[in-house]
Amino acid sequence: MGLIKKTTGLMGLAVNPNPHHTLGALYGKILRTLQKMPEQSVYRKYTEQIVKERAAVLQQTKDSYEIENKINCGQAEELIIQAENELNLARKMLNWKPWEPLVAKPPKGQWDWPPSKA
Amino acid sequence: MSLIFKRTIDFTRNLGRTILGNQHYPVTQRIAFKSDQTPQIESRPTVAKLDPLQKSQLIDFGKYVSDCLPKYVQKVQITSGNELEVLIPPDAVIPVLQFLKDHHSAQFASLVDIAGMDVPSRVNRFEIIYNLLSLRYNARIRIKTYTDELTPIDSACEVFKAANWYEREIWDMYGVFFANHPDLRRILTDYGFEGHPFRKDFPLSGYVELRYDDEQKRVVVEPLELAQEFRRFELSAPWEQFPNFRGNPVEEVASTAEPKKE
Repeated sequence: MGLIKKTTGLMGLAVNPNPHHTLGALYGKILRTLQKMPEQSVYRKYTEQIVKERAAVLQQTKDSYEIENKINCGQAEELIIQAENELNLARKMLNWKPWEPLVAKPPKGQWDWPPSKA
Repeated sequence: MSLIFKRTIDFTRNLGRTILGNQHYPVTQRIAFKSDQTPQIESRPTVAKLDPLQKSQLIDFGKYVSDCLPKYVQKVQITSGNELEVLIPPDAVIPVLQFLKDHHSAQFASLVDIAGMDVPSRVNRFEIIYNLLSLRYNARIRIKTYTDELTPIDSACEVFKAANWYEREIWDMYGVFFANHPDLRRILTDYGFEGHPFRKDFPLSGYVELRYDDEQKRVVVEPLELAQEFRRFELSAPWEQFPNFRGNPVEEVASTAEPKKE
């Protein structure tokens, strides 16, 4: 590494001094939130898969450039934003319970296109 | 123009073949256009080229969304070859938008537009259409929901700040009410305007006219003098005469999770 990162090059996004630590904490929080969802929830399954993959990369290395290359989804600061969003979403999902069956069936003919003649 | 020309050539060639082969096909049978053509590589320069890889990714993502949110997704479909649409009930607007915005493998962080549509023959006559863009994955998605004149829809402002003015436009043009909107006012129509001009039953001439009155020295608003007689509004689509219009159904993306449950 050696070089000190001065900017992310993105408006309003400051360089994080220790992205490894922040990311690790966020991924831990996401996984703990996901634990509260039922096992068969598909959202939980896929999100756990994504987050565990990224957390595994964190385990392998502490170098943020290497983390960015291996996760391949933007700079470390962007990864932090993504993780924050996911955490926020996961917490909301606990209330919404999206794994339940469909709330409302569409009325007949709602999604027919072209519509029947008036 | 070249498209029509080519079709004409195909048509005459087929006609010639049938005459030579002395087979009696009804001539109308050969006028079916798009479905008739084999799915070849598109070589016409003016027609969009569809990427089969992109399409398969869209189908996969459509399945992914409907699997993740079985509570909120009614139907997933692909239109025009490469446009993914997710059809949801009106209660699901916020969860679905929030999911698409915040989920790691979606990241549709940008709300491009909200559109409305009026189909008076339906029970829920209005459709509200959200167009999203994911800069991260260079992908677009369209969310559709429905409502009628009286049922409010949850405002998407808490998810996307950009939704504020778009929803005001919808409110102004169609009169769809958005619950929890921070500032729901008219935005496009004139001061004191009444009615919602994009509704199909709104007359083209409007209800009032504005003119400058010389005696009163000001602009006056008067009820329309050349008022339209009451008429049955012909609401059929103007492109009804084109054969592709009814013969081109949307492709539905089946959810992988559904068959297991039912």
